[in-house]
Amino acid sequence: MEELDVEPTTTNIPASEGNHLGFVWGPGDILVYDTIYKSSGSVGTCSSFIHEVRKDEDIYSPILRKLFNESHHIFVGLQTIREDLPNKNKKTQFVSISKNYRSVIRACMEELQQVSILLAIELIWNLCEVLFIDAAPGGSLLLHLLDWVRLHKADVDEKAQEVLQSESPTEHHGYWDVVLSYLMQGRMDEARQMLVKWGVLKPAARSMYKQMDNLLSKMPVYNPGGSQTLTEFDVKWRHWHDMVDHSLQDNSFASDPNLELICKILMGDEDAILEQKDLLSTWYHFLVTRLLFSHPTVKPTELHYYAQSCLAMFDSRSAPEPLDSILLAAFEFDIHQVIKDCSIALNNWWFVAHLTDLLDHCNLLQSHNLHFGSNLREFLLLEYASGLFTHHSLWQLAVDYFDHCPEFGRVYLEQQIEHVPLDTERKALKVLRICEQRQMSEQVRSICKIMAKRALRNNRLGSALSWSIRAKDAAFATLISERFLQDYCARGTFSDLDLIDNLGPAMLLSDRLTFLGKYREFHKLYGENRFSDAATLLLSLMTAQIAPRSFWMTLLTDALPLLEQKEVRLPPKVNERNTWEPEMSSLYNLHQKKVLSTINWLVNVDV
Amino acid sequence: TVMQVSVINTVDTSHEDMIHDAQMDYYGTRLATCSSDRTVKIFDVRNGGQILVADLRGHEGPVWQVAWAHPMYGNILASCSYDRKVIVWKEENGSWDKMYEYTGHESSMNSVCWGPYDFGLILACGSSDGAISLLTFTGEQQWDVKKISNAHTIGCNAVSWAPAVVPGSLVDQPSGQKPNYVKRFVSGGCDNLVKLWKEEDGQWKEDQKLEAHSDWVRDVGWAPSIGLPTSTIASCSQDGRVFIWTCEDPTGNTWTPKLLHKFVDVVWHVSWSITGNILAVSGGDNKVTLWKESMDGQWACISDVSKGQGAVSSITDTQQSEQ
Repeated sequence: MEELDVEPTTTNIPASEGNHLGFVWGPGDILVYDTIYKSSGSVGTCSSFIHEVRKDEDIYSPILRKLFNESHHIFVGLQTIREDLPNKNKKTQFVSISKNYRSVIRACMEELQQVSILLAIELIWNLCEVLFIDAAPGGSLLLHLLDWVRLHKADVDEKAQEVLQSESPTEHHGYWDVVLSYLMQGRMDEARQMLVKWGVLKPAARSMYKQMDNLLSKMPVYNPGGSQTLTEFDVKWRHWHDMVDHSLQDNSFASDPNLELICKILMGDEDAILEQKDLLSTWYHFLVTRLLFSHPTVKPTELHYYAQSCLAMFDSRSAPEPLDSILLAAFEFDIHQVIKDCSIALNNWWFVAHLTDLLDHCNLLQSHNLHFGSNLREFLLLEYASGLFTHHSLWQLAVDYFDHCPEFGRVYLEQQIEHVPLDTERKALKVLRICEQRQMSEQVRSICKIMAKRALRNNRLGSALSWSIRAKDAAFATLISERFLQDYCARGTFSDLDLIDNLGPAMLLSDRLTFLGKYREFHKLYGENRFSDAATLLLSLMTAQIAPRSFWMTLLTDALPLLEQKEVRLPPKVNERNTWEPEMSSLYNLHQKKVLSTINWLVNVDV
Repeated sequence: TVMQVSVINTVDTSHEDMIHDAQMDYYGTRLATCSSDRTVKIFDVRNGGQILVADLRGHEGPVWQVAWAHPMYGNILASCSYDRKVIVWKEENGSWDKMYEYTGHESSMNSVCWGPYDFGLILACGSSDGAISLLTFTGEQQWDVKKISNAHTIGCNAVSWAPAVVPGSLVDQPSGQKPNYVKRFVSGGCDNLVKLWKEEDGQWKEDQKLEAHSDWVRDVGWAPSIGLPTSTIASCSQDGRVFIWTCEDPTGNTWTPKLLHKFVDVVWHVSWSITGNILAVSGGDNKVTLWKESMDGQWACISDVSKGQGAVSSITDTQQSEQ
């Protein structure tokens, strides 16, 4: 297997002479700075600059963001295709998904100036779709390859337009180029339409033209949906091939070099086709043309012989470029080599990750275990998604990719989600929801704690409290409840009443919090003139010992007005058998006694 | 894949002398730097900006390293210096102040590293006096100090914590059960050794002694865990070598070194990327090289250049290119 020897790229950082480079990883970017490493002491001068360096990843290009967003959509859809569908249906779906990915690429190409890499990607993807996913057999294979070439050599139509719109098309310098181009792309009808113009103008050559037109019209084209078998087609084709040969042998077109050339090309004469290098412009176009006119029933397994020889014939001088190696590997049906070469040659993971994922779904990848214990598909998806994670909004797309990496997706997500800046409460909630949905309890706790601390630092007690509750952080909840109570003592009112009033079962998180909730409830009852209920509550607060000692004075002070309330009814008492006793008649006095005995109890308790 | 990079922002720290360390906080919003000018500076670098947030003075000698604690504990930064001190700084009500000052060593403090947040707020510090201290915040401005004396003869140059979870336990653990927490860290010293330390029953014990270097070990880095049963440590030395140590078994008993590369000059610094799959190496040859793990016999996305390793890209200073 040919190795692609790729040199590591060098980036230069302005730095003082003779100094070393310090380096540190940031969560997204990298820091590089000027320094000198010495075993002891430090001498010399250096700059005080620190450079933030970032990978030149396409995620920072706004147009490619569209690519990432839309392909994310397709990716998620692909993951949810039902496994139990029959293979035939699945194949259709996979081909359709492949075409979806490609249309997204093409959409981006239209907007982006720097198209070359996208063109290459689409070219490769298309070929992979033809060879691997659609897996066309002999007969159809050539037709698909012709489509492939036509799609990527679209300038023929432009040229044709230019020629046709000129004063005298047949005199146009590009006329025969267009005819030949159409032929070499197997577009026989269009070639004939062009040729007619010539035929009409040259009455002397009428018969030659007619003969040529006849040959062109008779060229058999395989119909995959038809009743004709491949063998039958082959027979027909050979017959036609012999006809063409005949015309060449008996010099029917000898007097016109252009027609003679066309005839040779129809015969599949390699030299004649090769002469049109400029029109073909690529070796793979040459390959398809050569197959069209010499071996249209080519089978997938035979492709690589032809591919290798065509590459060699087309440009024997220069070394193969990465793209050539990739296409060659595809023609050799070496999927792994294709992926490997693409990973090296292209500066982004998007392509290999999505293509590999699709191929994996088609069960085309051997289970190729990497050292890490995971497979190729997952490895590439993890790389791609990790790259997305450093972006301030694309990170959300990455989550779905991690979700579909069964082995390491979760742990990667756990690690990287911690570094998403929690700039706003809304963003924090977003991150939190993601963690909660995946039962990432450690991360949930961590985020809530960070937000709680931050809220407390900004004196937003209510927010701090709700974050602590969400984090199930009893210690912090206690701390904040203390602050609330302190606030109350200082100002005589509570803040964030809404929150405290609606604590619900969360109240039980910590004793202090329970007290806070209940104490507030006491105030509410008092405010509603429900004095007996208030009194009950106050008593229970004091006797249940959840009231912090620091608060007893306050509680006692609160109890005093109750003593004066004449409307207070004795609250039903729970006796030893845990049943409620009915109220007694001498209500007021008994109640008063109760309060006093409680005070007595409090006073006598060891402080 | 070949990684291309470009400079996106340059922060002028206005340090008056050599910068020895720079660290981004967890979110990439704040940058802390320290220098021979004895100060620690903190910048807000959001959106390509650079606003000086704090200029911390408290050290009496060159400051060698800074380290950010986990944001869960607030905005906390540790620094260590030639002046034998470790200072923990905290931001309270928008201003930075000393939270704690530790002077328990007899010579230069060379390295500080915060432990995983699961263990609370715990800081490992290595010193030129050969000892390592573990400082644990216990609340109410109290710190518990544990010292490992003679960790490395002559001096300790670097400390790095292991991830909190015992390798392998993430994979085997039935859900809902708390993972096996073991406090471990690695240190490198002037005795050419890399040592692993483990806490057992509240005491720190030497767990492993890894010998491979022939000169002072300048830096060590324990790779972040990606849930694999293997543990990985990188070490670099004045002997120009960088070793990758791996331990396959969860009990942590057999460590196998693999030579990453022999450089022509001293290698000062190694650091792992966040997910631990790229190792950065900075050395005396004015270069920083990034290395991506690729294993023998396995498909590698970078190159199969040599037996298992491939250089991804390098960042050099301008002098190099002019040669």
